[in-house]
Amino acid sequence: MSGIERRTIEIPEICRVEGHSAVTVDISDGRVANVQLEVFEGTRFFERIVLGHQYEEMPHITSRVCAICSTGHVLAAVRAIENIFEFKPSVHTNLCRQLMHLGMIIESHATHICALALPDFLKTPDLLDFATKHQKEFEVWTKLRNLGASIQTIIGGRPFHPVNLHVGGLSRYPLEQDLMPLLRILDESRTYALHLCDLLSGLTLPIERTAEACFLAVVPDGPGYGYFGEVVRASDGWEAPVANYKEYLNERVVAYSHAKISTHLGGKPFMVGAMARLFFFADRLGKTARSVFDKSPLASGKACSLWNNLAQAIEILEAIEQSIVFVEQLAAGGFESEGATHLDGLVKAGRGVGAVECPRGTLYHYYELDEKGKIVAADMITPSAQNTAQIELDICTVVEQQMALDPALLQSSLETLVRAYDPCNTCATHMVQIRSVKAK
Amino acid sequence: MTTTTEQKTLPCIAVESLTGCAGELLVILDNLEQLLPFVRIVSFPFAQSKNECGPVDITFVEGSVSQPHDIEKLKRIRSNSRWLIAIGNCAVWGCVQAGACSRCHVEDMLHAVYGDESPIKALPARPLSDFVHVDAMLSGCPINATQFLSVTASLLKDHLPYITHKPVCLECKLRENPCVLIEKNLPCLGPVTAAGCGALCPSLGAACYGCWGPCQSPQMAAMATILQEKGYQLDEVLSRLQTFGAPDTLFARMKPDAEVA
Ligand code: SF4
Ligand code: SF4
Repeated sequence: MSGIERRTIEIPEICRVEGHSAVTVDISDGRVANVQLEVFEGTRFFERIVLGHQYEEMPHITSRVCAICSTGHVLAAVRAIENIFEFKPSVHTNLCRQLMHLGMIIESHATHICALALPDFLKTPDLLDFATKHQKEFEVWTKLRNLGASIQTIIGGRPFHPVNLHVGGLSRYPLEQDLMPLLRILDESRTYALHLCDLLSGLTLPIERTAEACFLAVVPDGPGYGYFGEVVRASDGWEAPVANYKEYLNERVVAYSHAKISTHLGGKPFMVGAMARLFFFADRLGKTARSVFDKSPLASGKACSLWNNLAQAIEILEAIEQSIVFVEQLAAGGFESEGATHLDGLVKAGRGVGAVECPRGTLYHYYELDEKGKIVAADMITPSAQNTAQIELDICTVVEQQMALDPALLQSSLETLVRAYDPCNTCATHMVQIRSVKAK
Repeated sequence: MTTTTEQKTLPCIAVESLTGCAGELLVILDNLEQLLPFVRIVSFPFAQSKNECGPVDITFVEGSVSQPHDIEKLKRIRSNSRWLIAIGNCAVWGCVQAGACSRCHVEDMLHAVYGDESPIKALPARPLSDFVHVDAMLSGCPINATQFLSVTASLLKDHLPYITHKPVCLECKLRENPCVLIEKNLPCLGPVTAAGCGALCPSLGAACYGCWGPCQSPQMAAMATILQEKGYQLDEVLSRLQTFGAPDTLFARMKPDAEVA
């Protein structure tokens, strides 16, 4: 033999993901030798930005980490700080926050599925092509996105970077007349969500199988399907309070990326997000979403991370059903009047963790306050950082299955795979590039 | 919807991002139906995979310059664009990442967040106009969709838009809100923040926290004095005022002894 064949697959910048990222795969002697998912989004040092600021400013500052899941950052910050003050928000406040969160789930999932993930399957090269040749899908996206944006505007003041959610409560609670128009839109939106579920269930995937995943998700408070809780569960049977996140998430800095990488106990990669949540809690879904789930490939339990797109569509459907219930409860009113949020007597020094299931998975915020409520230490772990190790593992599995394919096809499979995780960095140009090197 | 042949003759626009939260990209995406009949989108990497890098009539750029890579990209964008429009607080002022850079050194932040051996190249976050000529600046965090569409409409009619930098208080008074600074003693930054949001926060009974960046000739010293009179400590006041990227030079008179970058 003349020598070992070595190849490098490089995807220098992946389009249609939030943020700037690239993939490099080294193949040596028919095996994947190395995989790197590089995030080269400029760093913004949020853990440092917040130092010296007051606790009340945290929702406003940390929402700027990411627009599409800004509501998630706001709620994680609020929960962490309320934990420090041992403050329990009112029923009214909780309902508003839950509805707000569902608005984000709907808007974020709809944008991810339709604008970022679907073009791979519909083969649309640009937005005009999408809008003109796939009018139905374009309409579905527009309607669902507008629904999510309206919910967040009514509760939070604008479609993202909400201004109305604070530690303690809301500065203004929505009135019956603000909320009622949502009911009709929610009702009509069911068909759009069902359309997405049908479309995605019927897709032929370019990838048969990905790596077997260990799932992690927060166990929702209360009996229903939900996004807030204090305990995290793993599919290998382990559970822990989210407050102990530092013990079970091993975050490390890697030379090739601006995103830190997390692994679970003992360095094991894991997956968070819609697929993980459904894995544990599909039995908590309402009737409509449950019947879609039962008939879907997700119920069969075969490992393929690409089904995360479908999992998100099912969550949209469930979010619509849940929103109807929350809107009805809120509109019925009868809450004790809240007034402004009075926390003055509660401010004290301490540490607290807040975890929230965001569209892409579990988000952790940690703060340490001094006795005046000033931030002295902070930490934020995003779902995308947690998924990175699993994406790398999946890339490895896919390359080993498809190594013999035409390089262009293999690259497009890899891009579709990365997009299914909905990684949140913020995107750029360039085309995919493959390089084959013969080494000695 | 226009056909492909008609599309060819439309003005081309590009939507690019440096370091930010993608908020402006979402606002533009949300208003796509209004835009598509009038423009050809030749580049929008966040939302489409076929992107050209030739000459463009209007390029909207979001995000701050925060790494060497951003500077190269920005220069390339400038040389390809007839009009370069900075959109969002990040591009206009540098947003929260610039706010923090004026309080601490970027090397320290790098060290604190990524540890000793980080290979990451980071620059103190700066607005676009520190590096290239910018034809118009539309702030907001995120930008206001109506303002964005009217700016675009005026550019498509071939003239540069008028963008107001009057303070938020003006919009707040027009909405006849009770003043949260006077009546509730909340730390409202409306007097020194640029309008554009319609005085969103005070209209909901909350304090403006300055997300649009400074208004024209902001009276930072007077603002600080009022907040101190309301019982806020000077260090807290300063950190609030600088959160959304207000540059150090605006505070020169207030902090005569402090180093000015
Ligand atoms: S509430 Fe704020 S924005 Fe409104 S008038 Fe008072 S200081 Fe100005
Ligand atoms: S009132 Fe101030 S903080 Fe609120 S949206 Fe407007 S500029 Fe931003």
